[in-house]
Amino acid sequence: MTLQSQAVSDFQKATQHYIAGLPLDRGAWLTDHRWSAVTRFSDLGFPDKRQEAWRYTSIEGLLKQGFVTSDSDMEVVGTEFEHHFLDGPTAGRVVFVDGAFQPSLSDTHVPGVRINNLRSAMETSDLETLKSVGTLSGPGTHGFSALNMATMRDGALIRVSAGLRLDAPIDLVSISTSSASGRAMRPRHLIVLEQDAEATLVERYLSTSDNAYFTNLVCEVLLEEGASLVHQRVQQESPSAYHLADLHIELQADASYRGVNLAIGGAWSRTKIGNSFAAPGASCELHGLYLAGEGQLVDFHLDVDHGVPGCDSRENFRGILYGNGRAVFDGRILVQKQAQKSSAHLSNANLMLSRRAEIDTKPQLEILADDVMCSHGTTVGQIDPQALFYLRSRGLSEERARRLLCLGFASEILEQFESGSLQDHLAELIQQKIGSETKGAS
Amino acid sequence: MLRIRDLRTSVEGKEILKGIDLEVKAGEVHAVMGPNGSGKSTLAHVLAGRDGYQVTGGDVEFLGQDLLDLEVEERAHKGLFLAMQYPVELPGVNNLTFLRESLNAVRRARGEEEMDAVGFMKLVRRKADEVKLDHKLLKRSVNAGFSGGEKKRNEILQMAMLEPRLAILDETDSGLDIDALRTVADGVNMMRSPERALIVVTHYQRLLEYIEPDHLHVLAGGRIVHSGGKELAFELEERGYGWLLEENAA
Repeated sequence: MTLQSQAVSDFQKATQHYIAGLPLDRGAWLTDHRWSAVTRFSDLGFPDKRQEAWRYTSIEGLLKQGFVTSDSDMEVVGTEFEHHFLDGPTAGRVVFVDGAFQPSLSDTHVPGVRINNLRSAMETSDLETLKSVGTLSGPGTHGFSALNMATMRDGALIRVSAGLRLDAPIDLVSISTSSASGRAMRPRHLIVLEQDAEATLVERYLSTSDNAYFTNLVCEVLLEEGASLVHQRVQQESPSAYHLADLHIELQADASYRGVNLAIGGAWSRTKIGNSFAAPGASCELHGLYLAGEGQLVDFHLDVDHGVPGCDSRENFRGILYGNGRAVFDGRILVQKQAQKSSAHLSNANLMLSRRAEIDTKPQLEILADDVMCSHGTTVGQIDPQALFYLRSRGLSEERARRLLCLGFASEILEQFESGSLQDHLAELIQQKIGSETKGAS
Repeated sequence: MLRIRDLRTSVEGKEILKGIDLEVKAGEVHAVMGPNGSGKSTLAHVLAGRDGYQVTGGDVEFLGQDLLDLEVEERAHKGLFLAMQYPVELPGVNNLTFLRESLNAVRRARGEEEMDAVGFMKLVRRKADEVKLDHKLLKRSVNAGFSGGEKKRNEILQMAMLEPRLAILDETDSGLDIDALRTVADGVNMMRSPERALIVVTHYQRLLEYIEPDHLHVLAGGRIVHSGGKELAFELEERGYGWLLEENAA
């Protein structure tokens, strides 16, 4: 038996065992969903390199780690994690530590916003909240998302009331500690903005240790008619961590989604963002910045589906690669036959600081309609020697000059994070990360 | 301050500078003129330490040190400044951040304290006014989308901030209209001081109407073929370079 098929049967047994062991008062109503996800998992198995979407991203290392699905009941009190919270005013805070919701660290009392967590919604059989869970993701599009559905235990459930405009961001932060070591956590978030609501959500994954663990995340975002969300995401997991995120976005008429994604942590990370337009007049912007250095793999898969006329999508992703870092970028845009007057633009630029780094970038535009505006562009380049000379001739060391040029390259994406203090913090992180690596890079 | 002896330089195996001798003392302004392809820009670049220029002979002494032995940034730390003919655009690199990093790198190298944000802002605003650079451009990316004149003013601003001992202006007049030329020249003239030397590299005599040199050198075929005072500029304007080239060939 191969590693994969062995793993599938092991996972199936473990998952069945896990579900059977769940206390009846904790989301018993979901049990049917869970069992159907197990079946789904058995049908799908784990993705492998024969599938085009996984061709450049091996999961072998991930399976070999043997991460175990288990829950944390740890409840944290005190101030030890406070410095990870967003600076400045917020419209609510949802904190998870090692996958478990932290009531005393969170602030869920925001007028007009229902902030709950999956676990307590299950415990209280809050069907009103729970009924939407899984409607966008289905039982899973690959083995891991099926496992998420089968074994999910916690996550954020946020619902912003119709017409409400939040003028401060919602802070959603997941912190992994050394106790997460060896574990698979399968958080599931559901974000709903009702008609004409406006909000900013900052969603971050941080770690206080260097340990290996696995975040197997599914996040569903539903924007009702005229709603508008700015979604700022930061993946800053431990350097040994595995991170797999599946985002499902659905936009109703005239809704607007603007997402920015920074992937800087983890040994292995993959983010899949699927956007579907449910009605005309909506717009979707996806921005992203990824960094991959020695021993790191980072993968972004975008899948924008124009199934209705008159929607706009724009994707702009940039990557900085050094050491033997590897990145995969796959940007797919489908404009269906009936989706006339669509506008779709995709851009991916990569800065290679080392000859050993590798990028597999693949823009895919499938355009079946004839009255559309579409474009795509991909670049892979190095630091411009003239720019380097210019900075050095003004007294900057070569290392400092390289860092400044890297930050310059990243700035177009970083600006999407809006908040000055968050931008500064992320710029600092980027500098630290590429700091010594850029020195005399070859 | 600067002594160049028999400097020979090749680019991609082709000899461009074929033995340059030049001495520049503190307080002096030297103009280097010459036809296209004479090696003027090569001389400026090799002094600043740009890659791609092989020094095949001779030596350069700057403030008592072997200049050619220094890294690009070390030359800047010692007080050498090259105002470029084509200032590089740096999208995403904020002009203020760049100026501050640059100033503090030079100050650190000189053993001075770094300048704090308040002091820096005061200084940069004052200097920007002096070179008539719109303050809005300070907040933008370095040179990105700047007009030709704005780029050159930005170069002069950098020079004014770094206060070099020796400034080399490489075709700073190229692509400038008369107003921009005057502003740039005013900025350069403000930098004149008994402790500082300037080398003005130019193709046209026009700039020298505004920046009066003490010495003028004509570079042709990789050699200085003639040196004289500022009156030589007017002679060149009248007669062109031809007579010098013939004289030199004879």
